[in-house]
Amino acid sequence: MNIQVEALTHIFANSKLQRTALTEINFEVKSGQFVALTGPSGCGKSTLLRLAGDLLQPTRGTITLNGREPAEMRTAHEIAWMAQSPALLPWLDARQNVALAQRFIPVNRRPRLTVDQVLERVGLSDAAGAFPFTLSGGMQQRLALARLLALEASLWLMDEPFAALDEISRERLTTELLDLWQPLHPTVLWVTHNIYEALRLADRILVFSPSPGQIAADLAIDLPRPRSEADPRFQQALAALRTALGRTANAQVMQ
Amino acid sequence: MNRSRKSGWVALTIVLIFLGGWEAAVRIFEVPVYILPSPSRTFETLAANPEMYLQASALTLGESLAGLLIGVLAGGLLAVLLTLLPGLEGGVMTLAILMKSTPLVAIAPLLTIWLGFGVVPKIVITALMTFFPVLVNVLSGLQHVEPALTDLFHSWNASRWEVLRHLRLPTALPFLFAALKISAPLALIGAVVAEWTGASGGLGRTMWLAYTNLNLPYLFAAIFILAAGGMSLFRLLGWLERKIVFWLPDSRES
Repeated sequence: MNIQVEALTHIFANSKLQRTALTEINFEVKSGQFVALTGPSGCGKSTLLRLAGDLLQPTRGTITLNGREPAEMRTAHEIAWMAQSPALLPWLDARQNVALAQRFIPVNRRPRLTVDQVLERVGLSDAAGAFPFTLSGGMQQRLALARLLALEASLWLMDEPFAALDEISRERLTTELLDLWQPLHPTVLWVTHNIYEALRLADRILVFSPSPGQIAADLAIDLPRPRSEADPRFQQALAALRTALGRTANAQVMQ
Repeated sequence: MNRSRKSGWVALTIVLIFLGGWEAAVRIFEVPVYILPSPSRTFETLAANPEMYLQASALTLGESLAGLLIGVLAGGLLAVLLTLLPGLEGGVMTLAILMKSTPLVAIAPLLTIWLGFGVVPKIVITALMTFFPVLVNVLSGLQHVEPALTDLFHSWNASRWEVLRHLRLPTALPFLFAALKISAPLALIGAVVAEWTGASGGLGRTMWLAYTNLNLPYLFAAIFILAAGGMSLFRLLGWLERKIVFWLPDSRES
């Protein structure tokens, strides 16, 4: 799914306060691209994700997905959403949690993957009957990932999905995510504060500057996967990303 | 020994110590029976009139449970309605608070005048007493859904009805149990207060008769039944809560 963003502005306003989250953003994402959005806190990355997912309506400007409104794509079940909190239903076991996500899809376009196949892909076959409170944080997020896969959507919107995990789980899930993403190749918008994660995953990194949010840099990461930090080209990309972040006002927040 | 059994023993010990102290005090200070009967005298009265107390208890319990059921259904359904049609909330809640602020002791005799000495006014009073805690608690449960989950259901294009069924109702279940644990003992009180203002039977009627004749052992026997009944209901609800709302941390340990 390609994404076209034109003169996109979003202002959060209530009776007392007005805050501009995004100003005049323009960019285009080609179908199947993995794009990381990064930048200091409060620079509008998550807002952009919510606008793309039809969870918010833009104040001005447009965002189109394959030339259509986000609302149309959402109701067509083409968008899958995943956030930092696994947001599992505690009264349903792993299998039921995944099945619930599929049940809202009309019968005529039900996903080809069964719940059990999806659970197997994320390595949760043995935990199919387990309730979320018996699973570790990493396993819970893996289950949320299974639920995302089960939708077979062509756009994945992921808002720091692994940010709450420990470093080891995070590394492992990042690798597994790439293995799951590559054969399906949906378009991904991935919000992250972790520059290594961005470099390991993304085809392209958009660096945002804060208040009001604007795109400060647009870096293409043209490296073969899997990527290694030992690779000199990785180090070059890292240096370029650091420079871009350094130019944004609150670069220290990123450390 | 698990935690809940242990706490059961602790509670029983405390009750026994309390009753023992009471018994000793009555005997040592030779308190006359028309001021304060001893627990042993109260239990004797209970044992001597099993049929009468059984009948009265069955009637009062029946009224309480019928009223509780109506109150819970009405409160629960109204909470669902207010969640689906949030525009109504302000008006309906004002009315509900007005109703709640009116002392039931004032309404109970009126209901007896309007509806007679039968079971109907007792059920109405009980339903009125239990309705409000259920409405407030369930409404807050239905509304306090994790935003991440609301986002997720929105991204799935779930309808308002599907969100209610798959997300809001299960989220509200623990709140319903919290309300039931308040309402169930209240329901017993509601029925007794209503019977006190005029009835042909029930524990409230027994208490009123005993009180007017200064027959305190009879009165205390009814109080003992009410206390035991209220506690049993509370415990039963706690057990059901652990079975049904099994995903809450409190339910998992025991």
